[in-house]
Amino acid sequence: MAEPVLELQDVRYRYPTGAEALRGVTFSVQAGERVGLVGPNGAGKSTLLLAMAGFVSAQGKIRVAGHHLTRGTARDVRRHLGLVFQDADDQLFMPRVGDDVAFGPVTMGLAPEEVECRVTEALAAVGLAGCEAREPYHLSVGEKRRAALATVLAMRPQILALDEPSANLDPRGRRMLIELLPGLSNTLLLIGHDLDMILQVCGRTVVMDAGRVVADGPSAQVLADRALLEAHGLELPLSLAAGNCGA
Amino acid sequence: MHHRMLDHFAGGETAVHRLDPAAKTVALLAAVLATVLVGRDRFLPLLPTAVALAAYHALARAPVWYVAKRLLVVSPFAAAIIVLFPFLEPGRPVWTLALGTWTIEVTAEGLLRAGHLAAKFLLCAWATVLLLATTRFQDVLQALERLRVPRVFVVQLAFLYRYLWVLLDEGMRLRMARAARDGGAGPWRVRFQSSVGVVGVLFLRTYDRAERIYWAMTARGFDGTLHGTTRQHMHRKDWVFVVAVCAAGVAVVVWDRAFYG
Repeated sequence: MAEPVLELQDVRYRYPTGAEALRGVTFSVQAGERVGLVGPNGAGKSTLLLAMAGFVSAQGKIRVAGHHLTRGTARDVRRHLGLVFQDADDQLFMPRVGDDVAFGPVTMGLAPEEVECRVTEALAAVGLAGCEAREPYHLSVGEKRRAALATVLAMRPQILALDEPSANLDPRGRRMLIELLPGLSNTLLLIGHDLDMILQVCGRTVVMDAGRVVADGPSAQVLADRALLEAHGLELPLSLAAGNCGA
Repeated sequence: MHHRMLDHFAGGETAVHRLDPAAKTVALLAAVLATVLVGRDRFLPLLPTAVALAAYHALARAPVWYVAKRLLVVSPFAAAIIVLFPFLEPGRPVWTLALGTWTIEVTAEGLLRAGHLAAKFLLCAWATVLLLATTRFQDVLQALERLRVPRVFVVQLAFLYRYLWVLLDEGMRLRMARAARDGGAGPWRVRFQSSVGVVGVLFLRTYDRAERIYWAMTARGFDGTLHGTTRQHMHRKDWVFVVAVCAAGVAVVVWDRAFYG
């Protein structure tokens, strides 16, 4: 079996206030795999994401694209781990969408022509071709979310990690994202509560609760386990619940 | 929520809109210098600048109300100082008010000084508003960078402009949430306390957001330096414009100095 592109081993983190957020998280993701990370509020999903990028210093072993995460390697790790944050307003900080998408490639030190090429490509990939000159403030929530995705795509990371990508999106925006995500060739880590979306996009689901992994398996199996989901503050995805009603 | 942006009319297609942003920024600086360097109490040397700005304004086809409203918004800062001059400047009294042992005098010299300051302020503010009415803010930022303004200032301005509206939206949402519960009424003490709460929450949220933005930046390789891409270039017409404005500015200052000493 090939070496996993993301490997977490006994990852632990305690907030400065003393509360334990991660109590030994262990799982790994193979290249090309699409994994959903679900769990109730406060399960530690977002904290785990921050830990993977080295924004909170967790204990345990974290390896991203062959780089063992330490203070010294955090920059390399972030180059391969494309984080898309929950609030797109945090992600889009430049005055123009084009500049924002160019931010990553430019800081990577790429040549101007290459940067331009990547910006065009990334915006086209999320259906925002020709929006370089628009101001982030004037984008709709859905457009902002897709622009935020483009800012990370332009860096061509090995893993794409999205935190609650469908939050606050209308059904059309959500549908667009669901159709978009599988087309992106990266390894995908999808964090959130939108179990229907995860069922459609991800082949595998990891369930977290109280800072631990409580289930890990094929989405069709994990997300159909009503008892497991309900024990951890979740519900059957609507698509599966409807199927059960019919049965 | 939607706010009318500072550079609402900057998307126009007139000749002055098409001028290079750096040329316009230098011209603005020249106009401001030609205004502030005019000696005290002299109005005539301000006239060429006023005429030039009026011509620019007409060419830009910016609505008068738009500019007037923006001038009104910024004027309180200057007005707070200007209104003191008629009382503080010694000279020939034109109006006296006796309050017991205190007398307040408005002097002719003071009025003249206040009028002169107001005129200078209005010209400078008008020039700035016109720059923003004909140039997109992001282009002004890029122009500042090309003019070698320290990067840290440009970046600060860029962030301020980017997040000012987001913050305003957040503030408005908090105020609406309060109004939805107190109906805009209630004892002033409670309202005051809740206002303090709103400001406090806004501060905390801003702090959190700043941290999240920093994460988003470092996640994409930010190492303390911001690299930009420049798309602006000076053409012949831009050079003609900026040289003409600077020459006119120098001429005004020389005229002011030569004739009035």
